Amino acid sequence: MRILIVEDDALVADGLKRGLAGAGFAVDQVGTAEQAETALAADEFDLAVVDIGLPQIDGLTLVRRLRRSGSSLPVLIITARDALADRVDALDLGADDYMVKPFELPEVAARCRALIRRTRSATSAQLTIGAVALDLSSRTVELDGHPLDVTRREWSILECLALDTGRVVRKERLLRAIAGWDEELTPNAVEVYVSRLRAKLGDAVAIRTVRGLGYRLDDPAA
Amino acid sequence: MTPPPEPTRRPASVGGRLLALLLAPIGALLLAGVLIDYYSSVGPVGGAFDRSLGDVALVVAAYVRPGSVERGRSERPPEMVEALSGLDGIARRFALRDASGALIAGDAAVPPPPKGWTPAANRGLEFGDALLGGEPVRVVWYALDLDGRATSVAVAEPTRVRDRPTRALLTATLIVDILQLIAIPLLVVVGVRLGLKPLLALRDHMAARSARELEPLDSRSVPVEAHTLVDSLNALFGRVRAAAESQQKFVADAAHQMRTPLAGIQAQLELLEHDPQATALRERIHLVGEGIRRLGHTAHQLLTLARAESSATLARDFRRVDLPELIAEAVTMQLDRALAKGIDLGAEAAPVRVTGVGWLLRELINNLLDNALNYTPRGGFVTLRCGTRGPGAFLEVEDDGPGIAAMELPLVTARFHRSPASEGTGTGLGLAIVSDVADVHGAKLIIEAGAGGRGTRVRIEFLAALDPAA
Repeated sequence: MRILIVEDDALVADGLKRGLAGAGFAVDQVGTAEQAETALAADEFDLAVVDIGLPQIDGLTLVRRLRRSGSSLPVLIITARDALADRVDALDLGADDYMVKPFELPEVAARCRALIRRTRSATSAQLTIGAVALDLSSRTVELDGHPLDVTRREWSILECLALDTGRVVRKERLLRAIAGWDEELTPNAVEVYVSRLRAKLGDAVAIRTVRGLGYRLDDPAA
Repeated sequence: MTPPPEPTRRPASVGGRLLALLLAPIGALLLAGVLIDYYSSVGPVGGAFDRSLGDVALVVAAYVRPGSVERGRSERPPEMVEALSGLDGIARRFALRDASGALIAGDAAVPPPPKGWTPAANRGLEFGDALLGGEPVRVVWYALDLDGRATSVAVAEPTRVRDRPTRALLTATLIVDILQLIAIPLLVVVGVRLGLKPLLALRDHMAARSARELEPLDSRSVPVEAHTLVDSLNALFGRVRAAAESQQKFVADAAHQMRTPLAGIQAQLELLEHDPQATALRERIHLVGEGIRRLGHTAHQLLTLARAESSATLARDFRRVDLPELIAEAVTMQLDRALAKGIDLGAEAAPVRVTGVGWLLRELINNLLDNALNYTPRGGFVTLRCGTRGPGAFLEVEDDGPGIAAMELPLVTARFHRSPASEGTGTGLGLAIVSDVADVHGAKLIIEAGAGGRGTRVRIEFLAALDPAA
């Protein structure tokens, strides 16, 4: 998995480069938006990590230009500013995630992995979390390479959780995912399907209950 | 001993002052007008009656016959009778006296001329008031040379002759005066009210404005006299807004300048800590890394405080914020830390939204959650709640940690206050931020013991809640 880092501060750029390389990514780094555009035009990347505060052309403009040119490359924005407006801007302009400096390197690596996974699931319909592999187009699950029999609703819940691996998914959202137009389901139904899923998945992945909020599918790589 | 309370003096209202200044002199003028009207109409009326009474005296004088005088009896020719009875049928009485005052003819009850009267002035006529048979009368005396004898003719006319016309005249004048007395103050009151209307509208507009509204006032809608005031206010609004904006920009720049090198150092130390070549120094590198993290945290807290202050005055920062979403976000961020410490982190989030500054509320909840996770021992619980309570929304974080001693409660929101029980990693800014953010939102901050008197419960009570469906 190849990542382009667009960051002009030498210390941060070096840290990111080494940190992500250490986490198993192939990493290139440039210091300006122009260099980034050149690099992206010349090579294939799975993800760009972009600092907002770049010289001349800033990171937000770079993302806007990328999206306007039709690129769907996932972008993780890194910024020293933390205003809500920045965050809204970044996500509105087509960035996929957002982190504020200073950051922990393992957290950056985890966010990169999650972004790449999500983008791949959209293009290849394959989603892998540890020993569990989901095929989003055929709606089938494999556990350790063997097909796993899940009901339609169990599948919907697993898909929801897997697409947001490592994040808390609220119960209301899971309920909406399994409730058809014609049926009323209580939140208890979610609990029932989650416990069945847990039984079927065993120790392969952990679906954690977050009291009062929902569930989280733990990222085994984090 | 307590000093007696200062007598509170209400500041004068412009409307009240105007009314007082206008109504007192206008009232005095109106009353003076009534008096002037009274005397100026009674005088001429009296004069006119006096003149016709004088004419009666002249008629009487012309028809008093010398012969009848000698005979000591009064003969009354028809012209004289006609003059004395008048057109109104009210009888006038007359008397003819000689110089010594002895009655020659007529009515003895008619009073003689005043002593020392010389018939020089006033066409030889003299007027006076008297009582005749208990009835008030107006008397006229006329000096008459009767065949070489000095005599005087007196005619007495009951004053009721004059009453009706005088009353009619006075009534008309008084009606006009009373109408003026009522109408003019009313017009003044209405006029003052109408005149002050633009000022009152300005006052209402200012009262309805939130403290964050710093848009300039429209000076076209206020009277010229208030233009300077409005212009000064607008200049002040402008300065406050510029100050808030420049502070936000400064803080943003400062944040960038501090965070970027901190991020670089932190990343490098993290790498160094796991570098096989630095194994011998790992512990020291870890310590430096922790120091840098704390510094980064403190810088972040300080920047948050600085930005909170300027946000309070910038309306554009206020948006609709979904509290359960905020809680889910905070839990997502801190769940791993809670799991590592064996703390049961959960929520009870009822759907509710508020108008607020999203990133500030995020900082608020992160600080509360951070504190709760720091102080709650392994195996404890931390619960985040939101919902509505009365008219307003609330947001709270409860833990079953050691709680805050009652005597320490008033101190905990002070900047850089550190609990003696804390382990020494906090910045002492967490609850100061929480308190400032609550202030920015006009919300109430309540810090108390949790359920059953255990742990700590910090609750933010907002004044209002937005309809979750809106």
